[in-house]
Amino acid sequence: MDETVAEFFKRTILKIPMTEMMTILKAWDFLSEKQLQDVNFQQRKESLVQDLVLLCEKKRASVHDAALLDIVYTQFHRHRKVWDVFQMSKGPGEDIDLFDMEQFKSSFKKILQRALKNVMVSFRDAEENAVWIRIAWGTQYRKPNQYKPVYVVYYSQTPYAFTSSCPLRSNIPLLGQALTVASNHHKIVKMDLRSRYLDSLKAIVFKQYNQTFETYNSTTPLQEKSLELDIHMDSRIIHENRIEKERVQRVTQETFGDYSQPRLEFAQYKLETKFKSDFNGDILAERKEPLRCLIKFSSPHLLEALKSLAPAGIADAPLSPLLTCIPNKGMNYFKIKDK
Amino acid sequence: MEWANDGKSKGGVLAHLERLEIQVNRSHKNLEDPQRAQAVEHALRTKIHKLRCLRDELRSKVKRRQARVRASIANEEPDQTQEISEQEVAERRRRQENVKAILQAYRFTGLSGKLTSRGVCVCISTAFEGNLLDSYFIDLVLQKPLWIHHHSIPIFIPLEEISAKYLQTNIQRFLFCLCEYLNAYAGRKYQADRLQSDFAAYLARPLQRNPLCNLLSFTYKVKLRGQLFLFCARLLYKDLTTTLPTDVTITYPETDALPPSWEEQRASHENLFFTKPLHQVFTSFARKGEKLDVTRV
Repeated sequence: MDETVAEFFKRTILKIPMTEMMTILKAWDFLSEKQLQDVNFQQRKESLVQDLVLLCEKKRASVHDAALLDIVYTQFHRHRKVWDVFQMSKGPGEDIDLFDMEQFKSSFKKILQRALKNVMVSFRDAEENAVWIRIAWGTQYRKPNQYKPVYVVYYSQTPYAFTSSCPLRSNIPLLGQALTVASNHHKIVKMDLRSRYLDSLKAIVFKQYNQTFETYNSTTPLQEKSLELDIHMDSRIIHENRIEKERVQRVTQETFGDYSQPRLEFAQYKLETKFKSDFNGDILAERKEPLRCLIKFSSPHLLEALKSLAPAGIADAPLSPLLTCIPNKGMNYFKIKDK
Repeated sequence: MEWANDGKSKGGVLAHLERLEIQVNRSHKNLEDPQRAQAVEHALRTKIHKLRCLRDELRSKVKRRQARVRASIANEEPDQTQEISEQEVAERRRRQENVKAILQAYRFTGLSGKLTSRGVCVCISTAFEGNLLDSYFIDLVLQKPLWIHHHSIPIFIPLEEISAKYLQTNIQRFLFCLCEYLNAYAGRKYQADRLQSDFAAYLARPLQRNPLCNLLSFTYKVKLRGQLFLFCARLLYKDLTTTLPTDVTITYPETDALPPSWEEQRASHENLFFTKPLHQVFTSFARKGEKLDVTRV
């Protein structure tokens, strides 16, 4: 086995935490059950890695197999990357989308390889008709760099693709073009939506975050009464603002629903507006140019945090639509200008 | 007080002193006539007393009326429940369960709904060949303009297109169109699922399908007179509202030419895929195979 490939294997396997080693190797499906059984998983990690690399060498594993292992690792640790969302669109009056996965893969690969001499593309099919694509970029004179790959997750027969941040920005247009052409689309646009939580991004753009529906068949009791129970739980506590509390709860429930919110880490607002002040003659109010200012809300779980603001008494209900429109509009980057 | 000496104030100081004198005399008169004062006082007292009595009377009247109204509302129910027998309670409960069951059974019509606080939640239940398949929901807000609050329709169904065309102008058409697309999708999916699960033995490679199930590609085994051949089939469903393909291509993967009798088979298979649902075609293959085995024995 080539030294560089062996090194690639070694570094990839080293990344995997010991607790997940067996699961990830099984998912990779390159080493057989028997072969895995023969390996001693109780030894120190460095020795284990050495054993595994030797095993891969014996089985004549190629750089492509290593790339697949890298994809499996990334699928298990998808939150380690920050994902951007791209939206494609078809031209007007285009034919029905007869998506053929094999055709897509070969077309995608061809477009990249025609444009760049040294590029390595790997595919791995995933659940729900998604395909994970790993792209290692090279240059005219250098072999692909396996340690700075870009991942693209494309859901077939949808206009959406999710990409991990690309270290080489110059390759992004080419990536977009390959995706668009291979999937029979016309145009591609980057959405103002970014997060580590790929599944939440998917829930937002596919509008799948609210899946509770009222039917005659549902046996779950209505949850509207939950607040009343909270308030009356301890008889020693008298709630002075009961009516207001109930109003706030109702408004919050109407805005955010009863479902668990998709997970985002921040919302960023870029303001380019004129300063508005109540005081006449304020120096800032006299400025003719708009003020530029950036406001960033960060949280381990932004939407849940926003949902709890009004019930906690920190903000008035209803919250500003700039905050509540995030999942609906599918944006967490905003540019606000004067109209 | 202005003690102006300009003649405007009437008479000046002396006139003022006169006025004060008159005032004192008046109050002295009242003191001299204590009986009159007392009489006035007494009259006022009685008036106050009368007004108070009137107020109390009116208050008690209002109270009584309120109590009567409350009692009459409360009286209606206790009077009725006292008269209802156990039998009627059971009857009422049974009728309630019946109505609930009917409402739940509406799902089987394929298109049903439930009113919500802001509009209606429509349920589209798909079916194919008498098998009830998945249900999909759309929560509509009845406002001008009508809008979709949330839904469970798969992303690859052209919901936005259909809404743009019909949602505002013809909601019936909107729902029927959506029903069409979803039922056709469910039917194609059902066929593909059955092929994968029930006829896996006939497939040389795993079935290739896409999310909409409108492109199916598979290689299947055909046996005739002891010879085994592989046919590659490619089914395209260009009309998303149908469950039968619009394009069928069956090719022979080997480079050698197909023997003429087999060419017939190939053509007849193509025709079969056009006219019958996928799993039914394979069922007929299976039956033919059984027949042949029987005749051999």
